[in-house]
Amino acid sequence: MTRFGIVSPEWPTQYRSDVTVIDVRERHDFIEIGHIPGARNIPYDSFRDSGSGSAGKLPIRADFEELLGEAGIGPDDDILAYDGENGVYAARFLLTADVFGHGGRLRLLDGGFESWRTVAETETGTVEHEPTDYRANSPEETRTPIVEREDVEAAVEDDTILLDTRTPTEYNQAHIPSAVQLGWESLLSDGRLRPEAEIKQLLEEREITRDRRIILYCNTARRLSHTYVVLKHLGFERVEFYEKSLTDWIRQESPTWDPEGTAAIIREYAESGGDVVRAELGDDVSGRLKLVGIYGTKHDGYYMLRTKIPGGQLTGEQAHTIADVAHEFARAPEAYGGNQQNPIFGDVYLDVTTRQDIQMHWIELEDIPEIWDRYEAVGLTTMQACGNSVRNVVCCPADGLGAAPMETDDLADEITDRFLLDEYYANMPRKFKVSVTGCHENCARAQINDIGFLPARKDGRLGFHVLVGGGLSDGPRAASDLDVFIERKQVIPLVEAVADVFMRQGNYLDIAANRLRFLVEAMGITQFREEVQRRFPFEFESAGEELTTSYRGDHVGVHEQTDGNRYVGLNVPTGRLLAGEFRTLVSLSEEYGDGEVRLTLNQNVLLPHIPPESVDELLAEPLLETYRPNPGPFERGIVTCTGSEFCTYGIIETKTRGLRWARELDAQIAASDEIDESDLPEAIRIHMSGCSASCAQPQIGDFGLRGERYRDDTEEVPAADVGLGGDLERGEFIDWIAGSLPIDDVPDAIRRSVRCYARERNADESFGDWTRRQSFDRLRALLYGETVRPKQQTEVS
Amino acid sequence: MSKTNHPPKNPVRYEPRIPSVGSDPREAPGEVDEPAEKIWFRDLDEAVIEAGRCVQCASCVAACPSDSIGIDEEEGRPTLVRMCTGCSSCWDYCPRSGLRYESLVERVRAERGLETPSVYAARAKRAETRVAGQDGGVVTELLATLLDRSELDGALVAREDPDRPLRGVATIATSGETLREAGGSVYNQTMGLGQIDALLEEHSLEDPALAVVGTPCVIQGATALERYDHDSASPFALTVALMCTRSFEYDRLVGQLSAFGVDPASVESIDVTDGVLSAHDADGEPLLEEPVSAFSASGLRGCDECADFLGEAADLSAGSVGSDDGQTTFVVQTERGERAWELASSALEYAELDNTESMEGLASWNEQRAKRLLEREYDPNGPVGIDRSEHIEAYEHTEREPRPLNPARVHQYEEWC
Repeated sequence: MTRFGIVSPEWPTQYRSDVTVIDVRERHDFIEIGHIPGARNIPYDSFRDSGSGSAGKLPIRADFEELLGEAGIGPDDDILAYDGENGVYAARFLLTADVFGHGGRLRLLDGGFESWRTVAETETGTVEHEPTDYRANSPEETRTPIVEREDVEAAVEDDTILLDTRTPTEYNQAHIPSAVQLGWESLLSDGRLRPEAEIKQLLEEREITRDRRIILYCNTARRLSHTYVVLKHLGFERVEFYEKSLTDWIRQESPTWDPEGTAAIIREYAESGGDVVRAELGDDVSGRLKLVGIYGTKHDGYYMLRTKIPGGQLTGEQAHTIADVAHEFARAPEAYGGNQQNPIFGDVYLDVTTRQDIQMHWIELEDIPEIWDRYEAVGLTTMQACGNSVRNVVCCPADGLGAAPMETDDLADEITDRFLLDEYYANMPRKFKVSVTGCHENCARAQINDIGFLPARKDGRLGFHVLVGGGLSDGPRAASDLDVFIERKQVIPLVEAVADVFMRQGNYLDIAANRLRFLVEAMGITQFREEVQRRFPFEFESAGEELTTSYRGDHVGVHEQTDGNRYVGLNVPTGRLLAGEFRTLVSLSEEYGDGEVRLTLNQNVLLPHIPPESVDELLAEPLLETYRPNPGPFERGIVTCTGSEFCTYGIIETKTRGLRWARELDAQIAASDEIDESDLPEAIRIHMSGCSASCAQPQIGDFGLRGERYRDDTEEVPAADVGLGGDLERGEFIDWIAGSLPIDDVPDAIRRSVRCYARERNADESFGDWTRRQSFDRLRALLYGETVRPKQQTEVS
Repeated sequence: MSKTNHPPKNPVRYEPRIPSVGSDPREAPGEVDEPAEKIWFRDLDEAVIEAGRCVQCASCVAACPSDSIGIDEEEGRPTLVRMCTGCSSCWDYCPRSGLRYESLVERVRAERGLETPSVYAARAKRAETRVAGQDGGVVTELLATLLDRSELDGALVAREDPDRPLRGVATIATSGETLREAGGSVYNQTMGLGQIDALLEEHSLEDPALAVVGTPCVIQGATALERYDHDSASPFALTVALMCTRSFEYDRLVGQLSAFGVDPASVESIDVTDGVLSAHDADGEPLLEEPVSAFSASGLRGCDECADFLGEAADLSAGSVGSDDGQTTFVVQTERGERAWELASSALEYAELDNTESMEGLASWNEQRAKRLLEREYDPNGPVGIDRSEHIEAYEHTEREPRPLNPARVHQYEEWC
């Protein structure tokens, strides 16, 4: 007689009083839908625990004992467990009880509650029972069926059967070497266990026999539980399982990517040409190149180079180097139009990004070593500008200039240096974005970063509050408050601790959902805080006084510094400017200031340290007619991603379109009597992303756009989803109001909306606030206009 | 310092999400309302691929502007290979979801169709082509002639996999000679429409004039792409439909043939006529004759929903029904088809086919089946597009309803910038 059994739905009608029946379904279902009379409810969630010190997803012993004690289970009770239907959750319970050395027999109800209810009565409501003092034999005291990675590695080599209990598709994508596949569901038919003869045949086909040692695995040790119970039921003795499963295996087996190693290969082979470099880099070329700041584009052999500029601060020397590199290497080949490549800029331009980086296009791998040499000489880098690593650390572009609670004092640089070329932290589950703000205006947008530091005061000390788990892309989330006060010296340990939690518990398997925000969301902020505390060498202090007072959209215009000098924020619509213009900007900074140039998160630039008496002269410089300190509201607010001009994902072109729109909209408003410009804010923020990946941060714009296609009965044209009312000050993201609006109709839609806003706004009411008191239907009608109807209403032509 | 080693009081309770229809893992923390009809590849995957309705025409692969959809060789179906940008093109061009194929066909016929299509019974003059090709080798000979005369630069066709009998793989023939070698019939979808770029690259063809040969669903997708000036359709110069009531899934077909005691390698041709599936060897000797219903498990279920037996959106349509053995029934449907016919018919022996009853009968049977099994309304006068909500409303709670995405496939989302 084996310890495990699988019994038919009819079995409990006769033997119910001999066993303790355990229902692992959700509490709600147990009470409302019903259960087997007398059953105890131990919901599946309560005995799965990936945060405990126990292996994989097992709970810790004390928690398990408490759970079973509360359910009134005795250590030697014979148990019959069931779940909704197919048994995998109940099997997990039985496996867990087995691991902890439960004394009684362990039976699984075939077909679960669904089958039971077809043959016998159920009851609803709760079940009263006396608690017990349950004591389990811990895994240490019994012979545990859990195997560790080393055992699996050995099993790959010997004649142990590694049994993959997932689907063939999953198996085909990745499995442990030598593993055979037998999906747990193939042991079932219509939610019931297949006849024994059929299961035996499936086993025999895979040479799974009783005399062989078997190690089960799946992704997260849920599905293997079912196979475990089935095999035990069939009398297999030598069944063990890899509790940490493929999640652990893949994490360990993933080739670690070394930014320095990749850079070395590029340096070595660049002379031999791009094809040779790509061949030498081997698998995952594009991923490896990203880690050192090089992006593939839709033009084979030509790359985008991202230069990482912590806090956006460039010395005059660095800025000159960037201008020179762009001038020399960002040249479009004749086949792509040469110096006529872009209709507005030609070629030889660079883009300022929303993370204070600089991006150049048309870069060839052959030129990378030369570029790196020049960068290294002035302290610039492209390492880890992209890839699954700490990205450029953003900071208020006026840090240290204006009246602010505190200067971050090169904190962005310090954080950058801590992680630069650190191979361990170059292999996170996903990218990791850090934001540091010293001013009181949240200029580095803490809420949309993986970690954001905001200034705070506690007991007379200045320090930071910390937000974690924010981000946009196609599943936006505002970061959660970690409820801590930390001092400046604790910032780097905290980033390390959060990164460690991310790397230990973040999801390497499911790259669709593996940014930190998914982990924070899944754990809950309280639990996440505890996890971080465990890896943080100081005891957390609770939060102090928040010093952020408002949200500042941009830094355009002339502003006074605390030292009496001025900083001049110049508007670069869409962030694109010619290398020559950038060089002129640097020269202006050298002439009027100290050469320093700063980049803002609005894709603009800022020239600091201008003596007040030189300001007028600076403002009179010809270049400032193009990149103005006093632009119209649309030029001031336009932000775009790279778009389909280069990006392989981009559905629509963004840079040229964005600039053209902004200029036209400003000109139309200036020329029209309909809108009094004084009714408009300084900036109307159109954030246009070429696709759903949110590189232009559409969720925080007044108007958020993301590339789409529109098709009706006669034509297909580029289009955009349009959302309204993003507002970081209010902590509001846009809602997508109109789907697939043909792109040429968008400027009119914007104009209509802005016109109504200008007419109807209350004093000082922001565009976002105005949209929030409009009905969805009205906003939708404004965007679609009277002539263009939404796609679903298209009539047969 | 209090780096505690105590386990947390509130254990983490999170699990990989169990997929459900309409949910994307990335939307889990969602704080932003999506537009009502936003379509991701995931929606196609659930409504068509996971629901077992995919007909493997590969229109979605061809339509995707970011090359995010590839072909899963193992399962012979489209799959996401890099990030989906939510542009909806895959849905819009799929004849099982966003493309109301009967409406497209109706419009294309009105826009491009001949008032009275010509119907011929034909066969190749060259005996070699007749032997190599099926039913007289007409499609082969016609395209080969056009290639030889440089009216075409390439023809997207299927050829038999040398290692796997009866299994078709996509190829682009660039000369009459190579095309004649590829002649013959296969019974599975090759998903060639999704491989055009790669195949063109093999031949270093730039800006070519390409003939697309395929089942009616392939032609529906190709024609729609062409009608809407899709980049991927820019090479299309001629479309040839192969009349079809159902396509087969290769492994299952071979398995079933074997179960009937037929060695797949010995099979030269398979025909489905009057509800009977027959297989012949190279000498024309019958190997098998069974009701086609015995092979229903090998068929692609989504084919049931197609009423377009003839491939009426194509320039030319070819099939065996209605002509004598060794001949092809050939329908010239558009002016472009007419021109191709005029340029190449000298290589054919042909006669106008007066009696088209059996062809029309089969087309009518096929149409009735589709109307019966199509969960949505069959509506040639409806809009070309079908929104997700319209699809769901029609298919929900039916055997063909959307199914949740297989969690394994979630892993295929690639990272982006």
